[in-house]
Amino acid sequence: MKFDRRFIFILIVLAVMIPLLFPIDLPVAITDETRAVYDRINVLDSNSVILMSFDHEASSLPEVRPLAEAVLTHCFQRDVKTVGLALFAEGTAIGYDILNDVAARYGKMYGIDYVYLGYRPQYSAAILGMGESIRGVFPADYDDTPYDSIPLLSGVRNYDDIDLVISVADGSLPTYWVEYAQARYGQKIIAALAAVMVTAYTPYVDAGQIDGLLGGLKGAAEYEKLLGQPAAATRRMDAQSLAHLSIAVLIVIGNIIAFAVRRGKRITEEGRS
Amino acid sequence: MSELGTWITALLTLAIYSFLYRDNPFYRAAEYLLIGLTVGYSLVISVKTVLWPGLIVPLVSGEVAKIIPLVLGGMMLIRLVPRLSSWSRIPLAVIVGAGAGVSIPAMLKARVLQQMGATISHALSLNGIIMLVGVIATILYFYFSREQKGLLQPIAKIGTYYMMVFFGATFGYTVMSRISLLIGRMEFLLGDWLHLVPR
Amino acid sequence: MLKKSPILVCAVCGVFMITQYFITAEPVTDLYRSVLDWMQIIFVCALLVGIINVILRQVRMASRPGRERIYPFITLFGIALMVILGFGWGIARGSPFLWVFDNLQAPMQSTVFSLLAFYVASAAYRGFRARRAESIILVLAALIILLGRVPIGEIVSPHVPSVVGWVLAVPAVAAKRAILIGIGLGMTATAIKVIAGMERAYLGGR
Repeated sequence: MKFDRRFIFILIVLAVMIPLLFPIDLPVAITDETRAVYDRINVLDSNSVILMSFDHEASSLPEVRPLAEAVLTHCFQRDVKTVGLALFAEGTAIGYDILNDVAARYGKMYGIDYVYLGYRPQYSAAILGMGESIRGVFPADYDDTPYDSIPLLSGVRNYDDIDLVISVADGSLPTYWVEYAQARYGQKIIAALAAVMVTAYTPYVDAGQIDGLLGGLKGAAEYEKLLGQPAAATRRMDAQSLAHLSIAVLIVIGNIIAFAVRRGKRITEEGRS
Repeated sequence: MSELGTWITALLTLAIYSFLYRDNPFYRAAEYLLIGLTVGYSLVISVKTVLWPGLIVPLVSGEVAKIIPLVLGGMMLIRLVPRLSSWSRIPLAVIVGAGAGVSIPAMLKARVLQQMGATISHALSLNGIIMLVGVIATILYFYFSREQKGLLQPIAKIGTYYMMVFFGATFGYTVMSRISLLIGRMEFLLGDWLHLVPR
Repeated sequence: MLKKSPILVCAVCGVFMITQYFITAEPVTDLYRSVLDWMQIIFVCALLVGIINVILRQVRMASRPGRERIYPFITLFGIALMVILGFGWGIARGSPFLWVFDNLQAPMQSTVFSLLAFYVASAAYRGFRARRAESIILVLAALIILLGRVPIGEIVSPHVPSVVGWVLAVPAVAAKRAILIGIGLGMTATAIKVIAGMERAYLGGR
């Protein structure tokens, strides 16, 4: 049955709008994958240094921002020292923004508790270069402060001094982190991914090449629940549920109608013959 | 976000969503503006955070070794002059050759050996056997050096079924991803702009 | 000279980068770090070439008469705005450059991609047909993830998360793993061909 697809568009808009206007607060269950990421970060402390790489574009911001904020919140709660950087041009401004916003909420000092190094292109060269010398890749931070004059970075030479790399990504960047940082230097990696990339990285998690995977807005909502701080991702889960249900119903209805039409045609042809 | 910023963002968002009804000048204007902003942004970030601190400042400070990347970068920029564009092949060859060289050991280890190892190391469990059968069957599906008949045909068919599970799961996650983006934008319009949703 | 020397440069760089993986002597490591640095500078210059080409193309389009010429002017305005703000007032927190990024560029990017939500829903209704075994499995897997990975699926049954987890962890991983292994072997073969000079597409087809 063919009809104007703009009716489907209206259905999707309503499926998203109605739960936002009238929230139901559906409970969010925690998956093993999210718990694994949480447990991995939970063993870190004020002596730990993590590298958070904003490897995404602005297009996935509504999905990636809650993920990054949830993980950063956990890190700052545990007083983990955070070094931010970006391997995508658009991730540069976004990462700078998110890092400063979350740090401000926890009273963290720039240069002592966290630092933002900025952007480097040609990700394979950047990731490999940091394995030899992070200072060699980033001689200064995003605000042009020389590497050597930043207190947090005084003991950070290369991956030997980094406890964990967290790649916040919406594309294939975590693959390069695995191939160059993990395979060559044994660096531990966690991937916080837009949902579209989850199935691409589950083999790496299974093989132990990635220590944990946080996927999509649902992953962010689960993490917020583990932190005890429901925020943007949790708020959006009702709308996510209803939209998914609508699309599932569309698929089923489409198949029922197609089956009925095919059956009708077959009966007509049998009647003619 | 300031009130002016919110209004500008909301109007541009609606201009882009107007494409759902049909193509129109407001959508096209927003699209062309986005292209311009993206190009300008990339130019500024590349120069200010990479070229300036990574090349210009060290050269001015007397780092002689930076002459080599200066020359290679210059050869790349010469591509803009049609008569001299052949010189850009040399820096391209550096990037392509070096990139190919680092990728060989990396890919062999990360994508082939470690993945094969993970498949085989768990092969004694039920899930491990299912995994092993799936990996072998899917690899054989892509074996086109001989015609897929005889024993190869049903094995390749099993590979197809495993791939359908993967593609179906990927589709489900793709829908999740796109819907998440839509929810984010709707929450902005209803919350930040119209103040109908608490934030 | 410019036909043969790029192939030689490619081969030398490729062989060096493979061998440095196994040699940890300091002179080799120093040269390796330098090559990585060169790659980044060359990449940024390549990006600049692309950006300048876009600008030149928009200028050419704007100089053509017709109703459509307003659009290239809008693009050029966008480029000029970011360049002036970025180089004039800097890119630090609170700068006008970041304000334009946060209020115009990023939201518009997300909105353009969110359009796909509508088209994916429309495609799901029109195109997802369970006729043969393969398409039935495809549709079932999609439905399992669609409903199982959101709270609504978890309410239907407490076993839903473990079923979904199994589908993602075993059959889906098996297929993706096979594809990864195949791509890894194929890309390795292509990389060897590039280094050996047998693959020259990057030179412009000559």
